[in-house]
Amino acid sequence: MKFTQAFKMAAKSIAGNKVRSALTMLGVIIGLAAVIILVSYAQGQNQAMREYYESMGQNTIDVNAYVYDGSIDIPTELSNYCQSISQYVEGVTPNSTIWSDLTIQYGVHTLGETQEIDMGGGMIMIDTSQRPTSYLASDQFAVCNNYTLAKGRDISFMDIKASNQVCVLGAAVAQNLFGMIDPIGKEIDINGMPFNVIGVYKAKGNGVTEYNDEGDNWQEVSMSQMDNILVFPYTLNRILNNNSSVDQYTVKAKDSDSAKIAATLIKSYLTSIVGDMGWVDVYNQGVYQEEEDEANKLQEMFLGGIAAISLLVGGVGIMNIMLVTVTERTREIGIRKAIGAERRSIIIQFLIEAAMICGIGGIIGIIVGYLGTLIVGKLFLNIVLIPGTGITVGAFAISVALGLIFGLYPAAKASKLQPVEALRAD
Amino acid sequence: MLIDLKDIYKIYNEGLESEVRALDGVSLQIDRGEFVAIVGASGSGKSTLMNILGCLDIPTYGGYELDGTDVTELSDRELARIRNREIGFVFQGYNLISALNAYENVELPLIYRGVGPFKREGMVMEALAKVKMDDRSQHRPSEMSGGQQQRVAIARAIAARPPIIMADEPTGALDSRTGRHVLEILHTLHEEEGTTVILITHDNSIAATAHRIVRISDGKIVADSKDDKNLQAQVAKEGGAGA
Repeated sequence: MKFTQAFKMAAKSIAGNKVRSALTMLGVIIGLAAVIILVSYAQGQNQAMREYYESMGQNTIDVNAYVYDGSIDIPTELSNYCQSISQYVEGVTPNSTIWSDLTIQYGVHTLGETQEIDMGGGMIMIDTSQRPTSYLASDQFAVCNNYTLAKGRDISFMDIKASNQVCVLGAAVAQNLFGMIDPIGKEIDINGMPFNVIGVYKAKGNGVTEYNDEGDNWQEVSMSQMDNILVFPYTLNRILNNNSSVDQYTVKAKDSDSAKIAATLIKSYLTSIVGDMGWVDVYNQGVYQEEEDEANKLQEMFLGGIAAISLLVGGVGIMNIMLVTVTERTREIGIRKAIGAERRSIIIQFLIEAAMICGIGGIIGIIVGYLGTLIVGKLFLNIVLIPGTGITVGAFAISVALGLIFGLYPAAKASKLQPVEALRAD
Repeated sequence: MLIDLKDIYKIYNEGLESEVRALDGVSLQIDRGEFVAIVGASGSGKSTLMNILGCLDIPTYGGYELDGTDVTELSDRELARIRNREIGFVFQGYNLISALNAYENVELPLIYRGVGPFKREGMVMEALAKVKMDDRSQHRPSEMSGGQQQRVAIARAIAARPPIIMADEPTGALDSRTGRHVLEILHTLHEEEGTTVILITHDNSIAATAHRIVRISDGKIVADSKDDKNLQAQVAKEGGAGA
């Protein structure tokens, strides 16, 4: 029997048993689509995680240093020391968060407060925005935290020296407080004191300024939270932070290796000057990222395991259909043998049949998997998620192999029988 | 001599308490061009005999020469070739493939034989015409009556023009009128083409139409009209009485 003939025969068999063929294909489709969607989701989440870390600023070192009596000017000491190891360090800035609630106003707008506004028809309550985070920092805040100016200018050395009452706004704060108005040069009121807006940073969080109330999408919230900031010269700590000292700093290293070296150097330097008059802590952010990567790998393996199970379930589905129809198929094989089919012809026909079903089912499964991945990516990660080639090809190969094995096994067994035994099957 | 069975045994569960001797030392010779009916009650071993004659099953012991070839020595592949070229089968239950239409069912043995597509079409249509089913070639088995299905099955058996037709209770599932029609087709084949026909039946009236009658009981041949000239008349009489 020629190959083309076997091919035609297999096609006829598929077309002649539509329900059986469709159910078998369904097994392949479900298994394949599930694997593609799950693995892509895991990979997508890892990628989102990595992007988050990158936007946070890679290779940054967090420094906590404090002297009880304030006898050492740590900001200046740290800044000078970082200059001396500039082969590792790109920038350094105080990075203290102001813990007390600031009342920030421009005109009738107050940030982070529920307001009653007269809309003409009556008073309505408006929560104008989420309370922003305020930082006390130096002229290198932007470099160290990966911000770029959208307009205006950044905090300058002179602002720090002179304790000028100026501030730079994150994109979300600028939006919430000023709307369409250009904030540069405007005077805002903070805790009853006038501050000049000198600059606005570009949005980091894809320009997203909306919030997820359920809090189940921490990523998006964090990204927007990064834009919901105000930055002041750190020398204003006396008036803004209830006179508590600046004690947190961010150092930006050139790369991850430099970050390791710089973290060690900075720690030993600060410890040597602070001694037992205060405390010093240095964290290399890269270490967190490595730990996080490790956790992501575990999660990827876990989802991969689930995917493998769904592939197996798909395989079992194929096997079930094959076993349910094995009586019918065994009779068919008996008939074919009785009218002169060689074992080889039967095997080739069933092989082609299984390959065609798995091939068609596989292609549909890939299409379903791609669509499912796009939907899942949009729904859960809010990104355009596309499955990798590796996982697609791998899952396709495995599901086709499963289909071939399960599809061929009953045929191989039945074709060994004497025709009369196969015909007797019921 | 076309068929030469020598001392054939088919034993199931040999040596156990449940041992069954479906065939218990059968010897039978059939010449080219004969029309032989093998009769017997159900369980007599006649179907087992036909399966062995048709190379669908192998005997436990004994020798079988088909056209001078010792069939018991052949490989699976050579047996497939014999089933394809030498023998056409007609089963009681038709045994058509349900996913294929009449034309495709008849075409099947020709495909396995390696006949080219153009020649094949002529042979299929000719076989279908002989059983007057050429107008229903595109119908599936489920769209045909039992008689029509059996006619397609006969067309499939004769399409490759094998020298031997073996029919196991071909009229068993049919009403008597349709059954007679199917029988007529077998007789026509025998008379016009000189095909050797071996017919297995439990029905004496059908057996009586054969030129030679072999009676089997408990796995043994108990009478053969070749040796016993009275058998023919006796079977005919029994068939008449039974009808």
